[in-house]
Amino acid sequence: MQTSLSSKALLPEETQTRRGVAVEINDISTAYGTRTVLEHFNLEIATGEFVAIVGRSGCGKSTLLRLIVGLQGPQSGSITLGRAANSTGRPDVRIMFQESRLLPWKRVLENVVLGLQPALLPHGRKVLAQVGLAERAHDWPATLSGGQRQRVALARALVHDPSLLLLDEPLGSLDALTRIEMQELIEDVWRNRGFTALLVTHDVAEAITLADRVILIENGRVALDEIVHLPRPRTRGSARFAALEERILGRVLQRRSMEKEQW
Amino acid sequence: MRRALPWVMPIALLVAWQWASSTGLLSSRFLPAPRDVLSAFVKLSISGELWSHVRISTLRALSGFAVGGGLGLALGLLTGSLRWAETLLDTTLQMIRNIPALALIPLVILWFGIDEMAKLFLVSLGVFFPIYINTFHGIRSVDRGLLEMGKTYGLSGWRLYREIILPGALPSILVGVRFSLGFMWVMLIVAETISARSGIGYMTMNAREFMQTDVMVVGILLYALLGKLADLLAKGLERYWLRWNPAYQTGQ
Repeated sequence: MQTSLSSKALLPEETQTRRGVAVEINDISTAYGTRTVLEHFNLEIATGEFVAIVGRSGCGKSTLLRLIVGLQGPQSGSITLGRAANSTGRPDVRIMFQESRLLPWKRVLENVVLGLQPALLPHGRKVLAQVGLAERAHDWPATLSGGQRQRVALARALVHDPSLLLLDEPLGSLDALTRIEMQELIEDVWRNRGFTALLVTHDVAEAITLADRVILIENGRVALDEIVHLPRPRTRGSARFAALEERILGRVLQRRSMEKEQW
Repeated sequence: MRRALPWVMPIALLVAWQWASSTGLLSSRFLPAPRDVLSAFVKLSISGELWSHVRISTLRALSGFAVGGGLGLALGLLTGSLRWAETLLDTTLQMIRNIPALALIPLVILWFGIDEMAKLFLVSLGVFFPIYINTFHGIRSVDRGLLEMGKTYGLSGWRLYREIILPGALPSILVGVRFSLGFMWVMLIVAETISARSGIGYMTMNAREFMQTDVMVVGILLYALLGKLADLLAKGLERYWLRWNPAYQTGQ
C-alpha cells in the first residue's frame, strides 16, 4: 500500500488511477413488505471488471445497487468491498441514477465538485473537460440537454476517482444517438481509469456493448451469468454480437412466456 | 404600443373621473377630483406630514413582518425537518390558523391596549401563517432523489441542509413571503384604523373626521402604492434567488 502511495505521483495518470475494487455479495436477502426482491443472492465481481445486470422491471436490479452504495440495508447477508489502492484504503463508491439528479440551483461546475474542498475546483474543471462540457461550466443545469446533464453527473462521480461506479440505468431516458455517445464515453473512462463498474440496464444490447459479464436476475437470484468474449470496441452489427444478444434476450423472454402459461 | 396598452384603461378612468368631478356629476363629498387628490398629496408631502406617516407605517409593517415572518420561518423549518416537532406543534398551529386573525381584535385590545404592541401583534399574526405553511411544505417537497444523491456524496447534517434542503424549499418559502406581504398591509390598515396617533391609517381616519375626502383618497392610494412596492421587492428576490429556475428567468 505504501509503495503504491509514494509512486502515485510519478506514474502517468492512466496507471495511477487504476484502483478498482473487488465486490463480494454474500447471501443477500431483501423484501419490500411481503414481496421478496432478492433472495439468498450471491455475486462476485473482480477488480476492475465491468458487469451488467439485466432483468425485468422490479427484479431487484436497482435494489442491489442501493444496497451496495448503502442507501438501504439488507435484511440478511453481507456486501464486502475490497481495499482500494488510494491513500485511505477505503473504496470510494459512486452511483449514477437514471435522472441526473443535478442540483438545479448550482451551476454545472459547482455540481461537479459537490461535497469537495474548494481547492479541488481546478480538478473539477479538468474532469468536466474530459466529458466534453468545459465551456458549460458556468451554466445552470436547466439549460442543458438530457445527455449533457448525464455527462455532468458522470463528471461529478468521476471527480472523486471512484473505485466502484454503479450505474442505475443512467442512459435509460436518452435518445438513441446520445445513448451511443454516452456508452462510448463510459467505456472510455472505464478503460482509462480501471474502476470496477456495475451497470443496471433494460437494454441487452447496451449490456453486451459495455460489459465483461452480463448477469440476468430472476426471482431474486442470478439466473444467467454470461461472459462476453467479444473484442472491444464492440460493434452491434457483428454476427457474434447479434447471436449473443439474441441468446440473452431469448432467455429473458422465455421466462416471461413460461410464466404466462402458468397463469 | 404593447407596453402602453395596459395603461390605457387606468388613464381613461382617470380622465372620466376628472371630467365627472369638474362637471359636478360627482360630488366632492363622496369622491374628490383627481386634481384635488394630487394637490392634497403635494401639500402633505411638502409639509413633511405625509412622509412621517409613511415612515411610521412602514416601520410598523416591517417590524411585524420581521417578527411574524421570522417565527413562521423558524417554526416551518422545525416542523418541516423534524417529525416529532410536526407531531407536537402542527395540529395546534393549524387550529390557530383557522381563527380569522381579525376575530382576535377584541382580545388583542384587551391584552395590549391600543399601543404599538397591538399593531405589532396583529401584523405578526397575519404574516406568520403564510410563511409557516409554505416553509413547511417547501421542506417536505424537497426532491427525495436529490436528498439521496446528496447523502451518497457524503453530505449530512448542516451541509445537507444548506446545499439541498434550504435551496429546495426556497421557491415555496418565497411564495409564502409574497402572500404574507399582502397580509402585512391588510393587518396594518386594520390596526391603524382601530386606533393610532400616527401612520397612514391615522391620517386617513383623521381626514374622515373633517370630511377631507382628498386626504382620505391619498391615504388609500398610498396603501396601494406601498403594497405594490412590497410585491415588486418580493418579485425581485425571487428573480435573484431563483435565477437557476427557468420559470423565474428575466429574459423572454
